[in-house]
Amino acid sequence: MSRPGGWDRRRGIAAVLLVGGLAAVAACSPPGAGAPTQGSSSTAGGTAGAAPTCGDEDVTLQAYIETGFPLPKALMDEFTKQHPNVTFDIREDQFAVITQNAPRVLVDDPPDLMRLPQVSELASDGLLLDLDRYAAAFGWDQWPASQLEQMRVDENGRRGDGPLYAMGLNSSMTGVFYNKEQAAQIGMTTPPTTLAEFDGYLQAAKDAGLVPVAQFNGGATGGLAFPLQNLMTSYGAPTPINDWIFQKEGASIDTDTNLQAAQHLEKWIEAGYFADDINSMDYSMMMSRFIGGKSVFIFDGDWESGNLDKQMAGNVGFFLMPPATEGGAQAAMSAPLTYGVSAKAANPDCAAFFLDWAATNEQARTIGVEVGGSRPMGPADAFMPEVDADTVTAQTLAAGAKIGEDNGAMDFIANATGAIYAKSWTPNLQKMVAGQQTPEGLLKAVQADYESEIGD
Amino acid sequence: MSDQRLARPRPGGRGAAQHDSSSLEGRRRALRARRLRRGWVAWALLLPAAAFYGVFVIQSIVRTVQYSFYDWNGVTAATWAGFGNYVEIVRDPELGGSIVNAFELILFFSVIPVALGLVTAATIRKFATSRLALVSRTVLFLPQIIPLVAAGIMWSWLLSTDGLVNQVLRAVGLGALARPWLGDFDTALPAVGVIGAWVLFGLCMLLLLAGMSKIDPSLYEAARIDGAGVVREFFSITVPSVRQEIGVCVTVTVIAALASFDIVYISTQGGPGNSTLVPGLEIYYLAFFEREIGTASALAVALMVLVLAVVLPLQRLTRSGDS
Amino acid sequence: MIVSARERWTGRVLLTVLMLVTVMPFVSLFVTALHEPGTYPAGLAWPETLHWSNFVTAFQSAQMGKLLVSSVLIELGVVPVALLIGTLAGFALGHLRPPGGRWVFIAFLLGLTLPYEGIIVPLYFQIREMGLLNTRWAIILPLIALYMPFAVFWMRAHFITMPDDVSEAARIDGASTWQLFWRIHLPLSMPALSSLGILMFLWTWNQFLLAVVLVDDPTQRTMAGALGAFQGQWGTDIPLLCAGSLLILTPTLVIFLLFQRRFVTALLQGSVKG
Repeated sequence: MSRPGGWDRRRGIAAVLLVGGLAAVAACSPPGAGAPTQGSSSTAGGTAGAAPTCGDEDVTLQAYIETGFPLPKALMDEFTKQHPNVTFDIREDQFAVITQNAPRVLVDDPPDLMRLPQVSELASDGLLLDLDRYAAAFGWDQWPASQLEQMRVDENGRRGDGPLYAMGLNSSMTGVFYNKEQAAQIGMTTPPTTLAEFDGYLQAAKDAGLVPVAQFNGGATGGLAFPLQNLMTSYGAPTPINDWIFQKEGASIDTDTNLQAAQHLEKWIEAGYFADDINSMDYSMMMSRFIGGKSVFIFDGDWESGNLDKQMAGNVGFFLMPPATEGGAQAAMSAPLTYGVSAKAANPDCAAFFLDWAATNEQARTIGVEVGGSRPMGPADAFMPEVDADTVTAQTLAAGAKIGEDNGAMDFIANATGAIYAKSWTPNLQKMVAGQQTPEGLLKAVQADYESEIGD
Repeated sequence: MSDQRLARPRPGGRGAAQHDSSSLEGRRRALRARRLRRGWVAWALLLPAAAFYGVFVIQSIVRTVQYSFYDWNGVTAATWAGFGNYVEIVRDPELGGSIVNAFELILFFSVIPVALGLVTAATIRKFATSRLALVSRTVLFLPQIIPLVAAGIMWSWLLSTDGLVNQVLRAVGLGALARPWLGDFDTALPAVGVIGAWVLFGLCMLLLLAGMSKIDPSLYEAARIDGAGVVREFFSITVPSVRQEIGVCVTVTVIAALASFDIVYISTQGGPGNSTLVPGLEIYYLAFFEREIGTASALAVALMVLVLAVVLPLQRLTRSGDS
Repeated sequence: MIVSARERWTGRVLLTVLMLVTVMPFVSLFVTALHEPGTYPAGLAWPETLHWSNFVTAFQSAQMGKLLVSSVLIELGVVPVALLIGTLAGFALGHLRPPGGRWVFIAFLLGLTLPYEGIIVPLYFQIREMGLLNTRWAIILPLIALYMPFAVFWMRAHFITMPDDVSEAARIDGASTWQLFWRIHLPLSMPALSSLGILMFLWTWNQFLLAVVLVDDPTQRTMAGALGAFQGQWGTDIPLLCAGSLLILTPTLVIFLLFQRRFVTALLQGSVKG
């Protein structure tokens, strides 16, 4: 044993103090003092007016995409087929990892195309390329405005208005998938039309010894936010929720109808409608259970439609969350599969051209529907591929149209701020599963975190 | 082991020379002159190591302290925050909780490996040279050489709903205990702790065994003659004799507990809730995800101070009985 | 020594149980790696068909070849340099003992217990200012620095134990400091040096935090960092993840089994002194 003896221990402490003193001296010049104040206005080169292309020379686009979703890769493969001079250097990570990495990667390893979490902070920190120039050149501004508003950020960092900072590869929408065979077993032949009816089926599934819902809620991804937000729309209107997500002045998540929704969710938890290990279940485990017939329902999005049509052909159905009272308006979380371009990207023109291509090329739109399962972006009257009416893809597309009619689209409550999902919704929902958080406490805690985050 | 020698006061090269006759006096003067020159040589030899250390470590420590007094998002200019970030550590249950969690991990990272290591080493010391014991040296070391990330991946799988741990429990009729260990608020932190215990046990056991092999066997024989049982032998001979090794084990494992990152990052990401959040992970989240560099740095300073505050007294404890 | 049969048997049973617990995770990893990709095998179940192809898939998708090259390059950048400058400094402090050297030594000791998380934030900004993010240098340079406290401490302790009369005799014979170091001290230091080298090799290979924070590209990382990235990408496919983890573990395990005696000695001594 030859650890430092007593003689140097005291001096070691003195040295610590010395270092502290040095630090006080160093404190004179604050970190980041020399940093440029704004970088966002730097729109990339290229001739104004004419729509940019990928040119004829070899280009390699750096792409950072989400693991487990085949759509981006399928689109990129097709794009390379049509434009052989363009290849993609693809890096994949799970969404939680992408969310954590986004600020760093955009600055220090700038991708041309990147799957993004919500964009407000990234945009106001100048990390994302302002796409307005491309929107004008390609005519994106002629599309239905609602398609792009979630990706617009104004100078105060609020979403909904202002320059465009990202584009969607398609526009996805969420609801409830169910296993048709098991649904028939519990007497559900048509989707429920009221929340009470849905409650009944959940209980019936439980009574039949089935697992009613296997919902991912483990790690950094609190998937109970899906049923929670669906319940919020059963009890209330989507607009106040959207205002909250878009950080409108004075908006709060802690409202009466949202409390009813959270209480309803708690009732489901207490009734044992969720699998008992949801706090350690990740997304792919949920999919594997559902596909394997170990869960009657899941709350999920139409990005799985293509996959489910393949893996559970004919045995899977979809419905939008039923309203609390019969015939009430329906709403759904609906968000573009957001892809942005780093402010420092090497090939912004080609990246923008790819994004436009994904929304307008017939082949791309076909892939968007068949592989992605959701409606592509683009003009309202754009080409749509034929879809077999028996598939769940057809059902989700129809549901998407219904949401459009009802004006029921809203963004995801997890997208209100950059960290609200991982640092507030997720831990609080996990606590609620464990009986350590109340519905009131959940909403209050999230609202407090929200305010402290947008406060500074 | 050589460390015994190292602990002694500086070996007396000069003292040895004094035994020789005074005819050496002239040479000694020459040596002294040379020693002066050697001073410059010594500083030159120190320079590369000191430069690396100064640039990357000392400077970083200083800058961590500096950042901790600012509000900074890492991009735009920082604003002075005084002790605000430190106040936040005390006030915010998430930040304070991470420190509490780290201390709870000590129970698993330190107490269990050391206690279990002591018992095991004491049991097998008598046939420490048998083939089984030699094989065990290799086997028990495996967790030490693999990356902690790999340990995290393996154990996440073992502890999952359908994992081996639950499978075994169900097989022996304890199915009621089966649960998703890393996803349950009550068991997530202990489960993370078990991973740490698994990693650190082998090292502690072998260190303690090495210490016990130096105990004079006659001590035990005398105790036996006095009629001491196994238990008394353990507490009155074995444990005191390996006090130093225990000190080493505790030091190493306590640092591993307080500074844990890899295992938690892989197995729970701090969840469920924040029940397994530890300072290392929270620093990472705050700095690179929430971009609160100031708060992250304040927590980093707190962590560095905490480690020193826990480890330094440990040195005194293990040393006090020496003299 | 008299050992009763009962004691012997208790010991054997205890040891066997502990070894089983140690090995079980590896076995579980291996068995799971043989299952059909994309499935969630239950516990320790032997698969009906053995999917050895998982290893091939994992090898290709993890770009194992590149990962190995990257880890080896990082090792080559870190270990020799750290060994050299650590030894020089240890020699200076342990043998030459310049006036004021004690203060330098205390400064190094400060770093012995330093958790890397403590300085990772400024390290990130420093490496970014140097323009080295996402390169292997981002791992190599800080690691050399971070190993200095231990390396200097270790080598100083070694040189202090070298009997002074050896060097005095050499001095009298007119040897310069350099000759003294190169001809006499270094050959006598081989055991200490090789232990230190092994420790630094392992620490580098298994370094995770620096890799995760400072390098995004898995093919520029250490093995542990690459494994983290592999988990990020393939964590959704358990059999493949297990296969990949095993592949990434294999080089370490092979090297360990080849040099196990030195490893064990190095690690035991290392923790005693560290």
